Amino acid sequence: MADEKTVTPESGTILVVGGGISGITTALEAAEVGYEVFIVEKNPYLGGRVAQLNKYFPKLCPPTCGLEINFQRIKKNNLVKWFTMTEVEKISGGPGNYDVALKQSPRYVNNNCTCCGKCAEACDVEVSNTFNFGMDKRKSAYLPHEMAFPQRYVLDPSIIGTATAQKCKDACPYKAIDLDDKPKTFNIKVASIVWATGWNPYDATKMTNLSFGKVQNLITNMMMERLAAVNGPTNGKIVRPSDGKVVNNIAFVQCAGSRDENHLPFCSYICCLASLKQTTYIREANPESKATIYYIDLRTPGRYEKFYNKVKADGNVSFLKGKVAKIEEDPATKDVIVTVEDTLSGKKIQARHEMVVLATGMEPSTAQVKVPGNAKYDDNSFVISEEILATGCVKKPSDVMSSGQTATGTALKAIQMVRR
Amino acid sequence: MAEGKLITPDLNFVKKIVNSGGESLKKCYQCATCSVVCNVTPDDKPFPRKEMIHAQWGLKDKLFANPDIWLCHQCSDCTAFCPRGAKPGEVLGAIRKLSIENYSFPSFLGKMVGDSKFLIFLLALPVVLFGVVAPYVAQLIPQQYLEGSTRPGNLFQAMSSSEPIVYAERLMPVPIIDTIFGLAALFAVFGFFTGIMRYWKDLSAVNGKPKGSILNAITATIAEFLAHKKFKKCDVTVDRSKSHLFVFYGFVGLAITTTWAIFYLYGLQRPSPYPLYDPMKILGNASAIGLLLGISWVISNRLKNAPKAGIGSYYDWLFISVVLTIVVTGILSELLRLLGVAILAYPVYFIHLVAIFFLFAYAPFSKMAHMVYRTTALVFAKSTGRDKEIA
Repeated sequence: MADEKTVTPESGTILVVGGGISGITTALEAAEVGYEVFIVEKNPYLGGRVAQLNKYFPKLCPPTCGLEINFQRIKKNNLVKWFTMTEVEKISGGPGNYDVALKQSPRYVNNNCTCCGKCAEACDVEVSNTFNFGMDKRKSAYLPHEMAFPQRYVLDPSIIGTATAQKCKDACPYKAIDLDDKPKTFNIKVASIVWATGWNPYDATKMTNLSFGKVQNLITNMMMERLAAVNGPTNGKIVRPSDGKVVNNIAFVQCAGSRDENHLPFCSYICCLASLKQTTYIREANPESKATIYYIDLRTPGRYEKFYNKVKADGNVSFLKGKVAKIEEDPATKDVIVTVEDTLSGKKIQARHEMVVLATGMEPSTAQVKVPGNAKYDDNSFVISEEILATGCVKKPSDVMSSGQTATGTALKAIQMVRR
Repeated sequence: MAEGKLITPDLNFVKKIVNSGGESLKKCYQCATCSVVCNVTPDDKPFPRKEMIHAQWGLKDKLFANPDIWLCHQCSDCTAFCPRGAKPGEVLGAIRKLSIENYSFPSFLGKMVGDSKFLIFLLALPVVLFGVVAPYVAQLIPQQYLEGSTRPGNLFQAMSSSEPIVYAERLMPVPIIDTIFGLAALFAVFGFFTGIMRYWKDLSAVNGKPKGSILNAITATIAEFLAHKKFKKCDVTVDRSKSHLFVFYGFVGLAITTTWAIFYLYGLQRPSPYPLYDPMKILGNASAIGLLLGISWVISNRLKNAPKAGIGSYYDWLFISVVLTIVVTGILSELLRLLGVAILAYPVYFIHLVAIFFLFAYAPFSKMAHMVYRTTALVFAKSTGRDKEIA
């Protein structure tokens, strides 16, 4: 066995860009065998998309559980250094010898913060809550979410220079608010880089025929996760955005923009399971409820077939083979009307539901923001380069479990690059 | 378990669809987006999703004997929204072409019209007819029946003549034209008649005999055509409702003009050319301009919509080219005649005759036949209740 006190065997540090489940995993796996690792995260918290989920596969745990373990590992390991609100500006050099320019945006809150919440109480400006996909508002002095790591408030830059910011500062009993905080740029030298910036939900407004954004009770699968989450905008009650009514009759539209040449041509792997999982949210919350899944074909890779069979055994969940290609709103009831051909019976039908969930796919974050260095992409903007390594959903759509597995493999690749 | 059904796919038919403009056929994965975005399909057994699988499986009979392929007006909303680029609109267009080929008589001509490698032979027939046979026959006409100094039928003599341009005197005597076109028209009518009889028989055998009044169905179909009601339901290619309407009424106007001219010639014994202020002439010229605008608009729409709707097949473009040639050479023939440019006028008129022959004689096999088959299919569909009145 190697001596536990061994420090970095060869000079060389690993940079992991993106502090979601994949990035954290790669960083920890490398750090726990003795390599120095930097995690750079653009959000004010670590945890990425997983932090936004209500429950995740394979065991349907709440994310607080899995993330908490990882945050503990980070805290205990001196070799992991992390920067939130930080983005990579430029990468120069090559494997073994990278020079990376970073830019950290001001948080305006220093580590005196105890999360007492006094600043938020004093704050009188509310903005749309992006963590909950705009389904509610948050104060401009805020904790991103209950379990945010680090547990530290943030000030929205829009209030800086206003009286509101001053009120927040005055309310803080710990001198934690620093309104003079400025963006910082600094460089680090690393031997290998792992890009783990994950994914964004595909913009559902692009499917013009599905009328997302025009039909009030039409949400996306990620919004459904927030609706079902106890720390979400409705404290976990699955209710309609239009009138707050409990949803009894819900539908899921699979492949909303996925496997579609006009949008995302690939399959995002997990949306079928996500919808199956979400039927259990509503069925458990309300025994009277009914759910319908409209699909082209249900994809339940590997052991997930078992979960599908479990959901299928529930008589109140029905499956209809046919892609929903038209969605309208009943102006009187705000019910959602979907048009679909039931391809097994050959009937084009219009079905009414109280709320409809679009199973939108994963767009790699690099579709919008490219790696500021020498990276290669496939046709769909997934990172495939061999020099700047990639892991997680920026490389390939995956579930949390396989993200963890591949991120561990990527740690080995990163180490190999350090030692080469 | 439901009972199994043994399907015998006609692979050759699948290949034919692929070669007739339906090359994207096999990309379809049966999601049924197409049936949902289609605004002209009935809700029960909607198209074109089921046609796509029938086509992939090579179930020729199911496709031909199904009036649905003609209820489709190729709006291309399906093609625009298709997640796989399977272009159902173009596939159904290819199936319609093969349906025309299947029912028209004699069927070898159907194959020739649909295949670019036979174009040269199809063109050769009218060129030889007007360029060799007609002048030879004209030689046999005794001199006392001829009005001008040169013998008609000789293109080169006519081009170098300084006499006023009169096509009927110098190039193509009326009896010759009327004989050739009369026979071509008879041939076309016969081809259509045979085709329609076969088609109706198949339709009735598969879908059952019509229940409602055929006469009412015909009236409803014609009313629908006159207003181009179905085209107006298209989203992606909605401008076709106007361009096609122009072409349609251009043809209607020219058909009336032709009948009117026959009446002048044989009823009133008035020989051509007629003065420009003659009402028949006014209608003819107006229709020609309408047709020119319409067909140019059709072309520009097709080019504009190509990224979403597909560019169309050889079969489509052959028909468009023939119509364009007819209308351009027709208008030029008149202009060059009035300007007295013999050297250009006669060859242009010659091309005009060749193109008209092409349109007439090959009508039962070309895209022109869509007029007849679509009408038949719609009459059948309306009389069986398949095609409901659309608002």
